[in-house]
Amino acid sequence: MSNAFYGTFERHSDGKGLKGHSTHYCAGCGHGLAHKYLAEAIDELGIQDDTVAVNPVGCAAFLYFYLDTGNTSTAHGRSPATAVGHKVANPNAMVICYQGDGDLAAIGLAETISTAQLGIPITVIFINNAVYGMTGGQMAPTTLMGQTTTTSPDGRDRLTGSPIRMAELIAQLDGPVYVERVALFSPAERKKAKRAIKKALLMQKERRGYAFVEVLAECPTHLKTTPEKAMTWVKEQMLPIFPLGVKKDANFEPWFEMPKLGFDPTTLLKAIGASSEKPAGFCKGFPTHLNPTDISLKLAGSGGDGAQTIAMLIAKAAINEGFDGTHIPAYGPESRGGTSYADVHVALEEVHNPASPHPDVFVAFNAPSLAKFGNTVRPGGIIIYDNAVAKDVKTTDPTVKVIGVPFTDIAARLGKMVVKNIVALGALQAATELFPAETLLATLRDTLKDKAALIPLNEKAFAEGAAAAREAMKR
Amino acid sequence: MSQANTRPKPFLLPDYCKGCGRCVQVCVQGCISFAKEINPETGMVPVLLDLAKCTGCGLCIEACPEPYGLRAMEAGESFELQDPATLFGPKRSTAPDPVDIPGRTIPLPAAEPLVIKGTYASALGALLAGCRHVFGYPITPSTEGAELMAKLLPKMDGFYLQAVSEVATVYHMYGCAGAGLPCMTFTSSPGFSLMLEGVSYMIGSQLPGVFVDIMRGGPGLGNIGPEQADIKLACRGLGHGNTHAITLMPSTPQEMLDLSYLAFELSFKYRSPVVVLADGYLGQMTGRVQLPTAMIEPGLPAWAVYGDAAHRKNLHTSVFLDEPTLEALNVKLNAKYEAMQAEARAESFQAADAEVLLVACNTPARASKGAAQKLRDQGIKAGLFRPITMWPFPIEQLKPLLANVKQIVVVEASAGQIEDELRLALSHAGITDPPPITHIQRYGGVLPQEKDVVAHVQNLMGRA
Ligand code: SF4
Ligand code: SF4
Ligand code: SF4
Repeated sequence: MSNAFYGTFERHSDGKGLKGHSTHYCAGCGHGLAHKYLAEAIDELGIQDDTVAVNPVGCAAFLYFYLDTGNTSTAHGRSPATAVGHKVANPNAMVICYQGDGDLAAIGLAETISTAQLGIPITVIFINNAVYGMTGGQMAPTTLMGQTTTTSPDGRDRLTGSPIRMAELIAQLDGPVYVERVALFSPAERKKAKRAIKKALLMQKERRGYAFVEVLAECPTHLKTTPEKAMTWVKEQMLPIFPLGVKKDANFEPWFEMPKLGFDPTTLLKAIGASSEKPAGFCKGFPTHLNPTDISLKLAGSGGDGAQTIAMLIAKAAINEGFDGTHIPAYGPESRGGTSYADVHVALEEVHNPASPHPDVFVAFNAPSLAKFGNTVRPGGIIIYDNAVAKDVKTTDPTVKVIGVPFTDIAARLGKMVVKNIVALGALQAATELFPAETLLATLRDTLKDKAALIPLNEKAFAEGAAAAREAMKR
Repeated sequence: MSQANTRPKPFLLPDYCKGCGRCVQVCVQGCISFAKEINPETGMVPVLLDLAKCTGCGLCIEACPEPYGLRAMEAGESFELQDPATLFGPKRSTAPDPVDIPGRTIPLPAAEPLVIKGTYASALGALLAGCRHVFGYPITPSTEGAELMAKLLPKMDGFYLQAVSEVATVYHMYGCAGAGLPCMTFTSSPGFSLMLEGVSYMIGSQLPGVFVDIMRGGPGLGNIGPEQADIKLACRGLGHGNTHAITLMPSTPQEMLDLSYLAFELSFKYRSPVVVLADGYLGQMTGRVQLPTAMIEPGLPAWAVYGDAAHRKNLHTSVFLDEPTLEALNVKLNAKYEAMQAEARAESFQAADAEVLLVACNTPARASKGAAQKLRDQGIKAGLFRPITMWPFPIEQLKPLLANVKQIVVVEASAGQIEDELRLALSHAGITDPPPITHIQRYGGVLPQEKDVVAHVQNLMGRA
């Protein structure tokens, strides 16, 4: 007997008496043979220590009674997902999914297909006995047409669907390296079954890819027949629907390699963009002229206007100056061209309410935004808008200052529409004096440090926006 | 002929034979036959062997499904029935007893604060806590966390996998955590609903894992606005069975990092999933985030099913058909839940002498803090009690504050889920006459605002 089996099945009712050396399977059940060939293959490939057997829900739920390997028992249908988790955690593990037909081809179909397509080297042993064994003989996705089960009492018919051929389905995917269907009813087929299981494991050991072996197995109990007749049934009834043989045998070079996990603090800090350099400050004090302790801003436009980018920049600038800053983006019907608006707060100590239902300052990139938020600006607040696209803007509240700056025209003149938001930022700075220009420019330069060539254009856009705002305020 | 004689003949202990007849069918020599006599030990009818004509072809051995059924008789062995104990020896497993491989804490060089959004902060917290495996299915408004992980993990030689569904996600975690490694997912309300079955399995199999749920408007597909209506899932509904998980409620981007980092520590400490619940606002909100002073390189726990010699004897399972065993597991889980009570955390603000105590979490806690300040300016003694853990509810931290409290006001973006936790905790603590509890609730993607809180309290105090 194979070394990959426990010497005593202690987990099988504490291994007491006969249970210490016999399986829990019915006489003539195909599972025992599949277990045996699996255990022998594990022995022959010398992979017992590396093996993680993912135990299914079904008659084979207690694979771990027998296999002296690492074992994980998972939920019905979730073996491949669980197996992938194990495999990426330890790429050297030999991960085996042992699944029945309900598990693999019904409840777990999505995981089965996606894992096969992913192609990560794991080994799937699929026991197809055309019926649900554990729950007592219900119809399986592989039940044959006309076959009676407890949930197809008059025989499976068109309304209950027809049997699914998993090996063929899996074989046509790109991910798998090797797919074969085997059976257990004769010495010749058993030999092939054993060989297939070993090959499927070898494909994993050699890091070549996902391998799938479908085993046509006998469930005499739910066929309500003798073990011998069950074998005949598989041969005569199942084979025409589930033809045996190799369905795919690709020549994948070993490819699956995963690096050792990295824990270098410097690499991590670099990856997340952390810096130990303190940003310079330019503010003399908190801009109390806008609000004593907590200034709220709203910036709104359509998806591509860049409102979010400058909103983020303002929040960053605030924090660089030692204040608190927050930014909350909100998108209309997703980010595809709908309205996009940002709520920004700049607080002396701590932002309590990060939303801006009644902003001190509102920047509008288009007419719909103005219509939506123009009247929410607090008395005495400031609206800065793109008067190249929205004309003759008036507010109902005469205390609100309204400043039109042609963001779009200026950006067009500079030859790059994407700097429209920086024009707006310049205008915002000049119109509100939220921060000194240098505060925003320093943050802008820092944001663009990987695209330094763009800095002069952005600085120009900022300056022109500011100049235009100053001009507008004179009028 | 001579070859046939040297090939081993089969041997069978009748006790281990189920009488399936696979061997009978293959023996062309007719050495094996069905019998009629029921074995009193097994209730089975073992086959009979008469090996006079046996050629030692071995076909019967290959055909036998039982691990200890037909086997080749080694030279020198006899046909005589032997005691199984001497025949197969005692327990043969050579698997060693696994031991914990401790992790290490690595000091981090000082860095300036970052200005990042909540989901990013949470992702960084996970990375710093040693998480290198992230699984997920895209769902607004949590996706940015996953996107950042997909970008950063390769730089740390880690792995991001986009699963086929949230259901698959949680079982990727089950496998990865089963191997003993820290892993996590970012999800949002509908996705979290889908994951709950797996969370129950993780709790049953005692596996760690961190779930960051950026709560959005519901029920159903709802919308992508902020809500706090998954509290009942995390505190009362983690799938089937006797389940609980420490549930952390950040209220700032900074806490998104800090509590995500903490979540991994707690998750491994208790070998159990930990949930981080943030509202959609907080996930999207950008703010100031200071990095911690150290990062973690995780070790490998003794209980891991890693796929190596050291951990071969391990098993993760939540199936225990025998009732006393499953009851014992539940007793063990209950003891763990009891121990988790010590992790209850809360923050209070102007609460020591408060007559009106606001209770709020996540972003509504920020609005409530602002409201408490405004109310103080108006001469109303208002304060804030902010549970940082919603399960376990920080009742011990709340109790001492209750002395002066005349009104409790629960501010939340759900139909009373925080209030339910509060009332339940008060009741379990034997506080039968708490101060009157009123609430401000918004739903469907809307958060209560500071002015709503101020108005409610003014009304309550007859100042409107
Ligand atoms: S019910 Fe069928 S599949 Fe299950 S153990 Fe019995 S024979 Fe095997
Ligand atoms: S080894 Fe061959 S000949 Fe001997 S009993 Fe088995 S099947 Fe028959
Ligand atoms: S194959 Fe094994 S279990 Fe089946 S009858 Fe023969 S000895 Fe018994």
